[in-house]
Amino acid sequence: MFSSLEFFIVEAFRSIRRGGLMTSVAVVTIAVSLTIFGTFLLLVLNLGNIVSVVSSRMDLTAYTQKDLSLDEAAAIQLKLSRLPGVEKVEFTSKTEAWNKFKGDFGGKFALDEVIRENPLPHTFAVQVRTPDQLTQVARTISNLADIDEVRYSGQLIKQMQTLVGAVRLGGLSLVILLSLATLLIVVNTIRLTVLARETDLYIMKLVGATNSFVKWPFIIEGVIIGLLGGGVACLVLKVSYESTVLRLTQALPFLPLVGDTFLLTAIYAVTVIGGMALGIMGGYISVSRALKNEV
Amino acid sequence: MIELTNVFKTYSSGIESLYDINLHIGKEEFVFLVGSSGAGKTTLLKLVYREERPTSGKVVVDRVNVAELDASQIPFLRRNIGVVFQDFKLLAKRTVFENVAFALRVTGAPRSTIRRKAMQALELVGMLRRVNSFPHELSGGEKQRVCIARAIVNNPPILLADEPTGNLDPATSWDILQLLDKINKRNTTVVVATHNKSIVDEMKKRVVVLENGRLVRDQQLGMYHV
Repeated sequence: MFSSLEFFIVEAFRSIRRGGLMTSVAVVTIAVSLTIFGTFLLLVLNLGNIVSVVSSRMDLTAYTQKDLSLDEAAAIQLKLSRLPGVEKVEFTSKTEAWNKFKGDFGGKFALDEVIRENPLPHTFAVQVRTPDQLTQVARTISNLADIDEVRYSGQLIKQMQTLVGAVRLGGLSLVILLSLATLLIVVNTIRLTVLARETDLYIMKLVGATNSFVKWPFIIEGVIIGLLGGGVACLVLKVSYESTVLRLTQALPFLPLVGDTFLLTAIYAVTVIGGMALGIMGGYISVSRALKNEV
Repeated sequence: MIELTNVFKTYSSGIESLYDINLHIGKEEFVFLVGSSGAGKTTLLKLVYREERPTSGKVVVDRVNVAELDASQIPFLRRNIGVVFQDFKLLAKRTVFENVAFALRVTGAPRSTIRRKAMQALELVGMLRRVNSFPHELSGGEKQRVCIARAIVNNPPILLADEPTGNLDPATSWDILQLLDKINKRNTTVVVATHNKSIVDEMKKRVVVLENGRLVRDQQLGMYHV
């Protein structure tokens, strides 16, 4: 078998050279499909990242009854920090809040003269460990005595998670459809080169070539076409993603985009391997079909 | 070497190609299979190298009933049978040497063996001068010589030729038959399907006559017509 390997590879390259336009079509098709595939992957990845970063920043704010003393507030803080799922509790006394409020409007007009008494309650900023605990923790806190009100942006997080789920699902179905379409095109492209070599196949079988011997060159041809297509897609994705990230971080610096090299490398690798898999399947299916019709 | 017993062949289109054929061809025999076009000569040869299967009956090649042969075994049957065609069936984009070497490559033979055996076969058919030519640069007779070289390069015990002189002038046809005779004398069973009367008459070999799919005459040192 090994003495034949060189022969198979030479045959594969020979076929690619002879395939000309059809080979280029197959390469471009694979490249386009995988670029779309990769784009979706990157999009979903980034949306997921944004949601998780944003929701991890989400904390809830609990307001006490207005007439609570500092001691009572300290007791509540201790209680809050012991609740399951709570990461951190920050206390802001009503006086601090009032001073800050006044500072924010400082100089414009004298608030003290309009409002004699501090109207603000004490506040606790509560951070939860994971975003999905937010709702539960909020409910527990709002049921506590001495707590007047709890505010958090749970609704927003839920919506974002739904959005990511939808994108993920849509992207996945689109990716499956695209892969099937690409596979069909690759199969037909390689089949054209197989059909062009029908006499060759006939002669090969006639002089006693086994089916697997006939198949190998076409499978290797598929690998080469797939690698070329996947490589082009990988390059396009890398260049365009990096320039997009660069531009977006300048325009929207707060947007948490994925810059994890390991994760990105994995995605680029998936496109190349995906191209190769498509090519192998394309080569295998088309030559198997042709051989079924042979002697 | 080749034995057909009660062989019938009807194509799926309903055309009856062979009808109750019984034929024994011994080791190292030279047999002419004659008859007009459509008599069933090509079908009979195809049964031997298993391009077709009989509708019923046995086709035994070298003690194996090839009618029942598993598909995975067909390549190995064919390595023991050389086949020559009227239209040569050479690979157009490969040189003479590559065409002959091809039949050895598929067996997975090592490169040095391929080169040695291919050159030997080309020497036998007298084509050593043209090893680097492409088929379109050759005359009909030269193409047929290359085709024969490819058929015998594996040293098969059986050589089948289907109208090998169909596209050749009389002098060249005669040369090709001399070559087939030479191969026969090197211990190869040779079966030649032809409707070339003058050659059959001149060679004085065993003649098997087919008519409308029936074997109507089998004669040693025979002539095309009785």
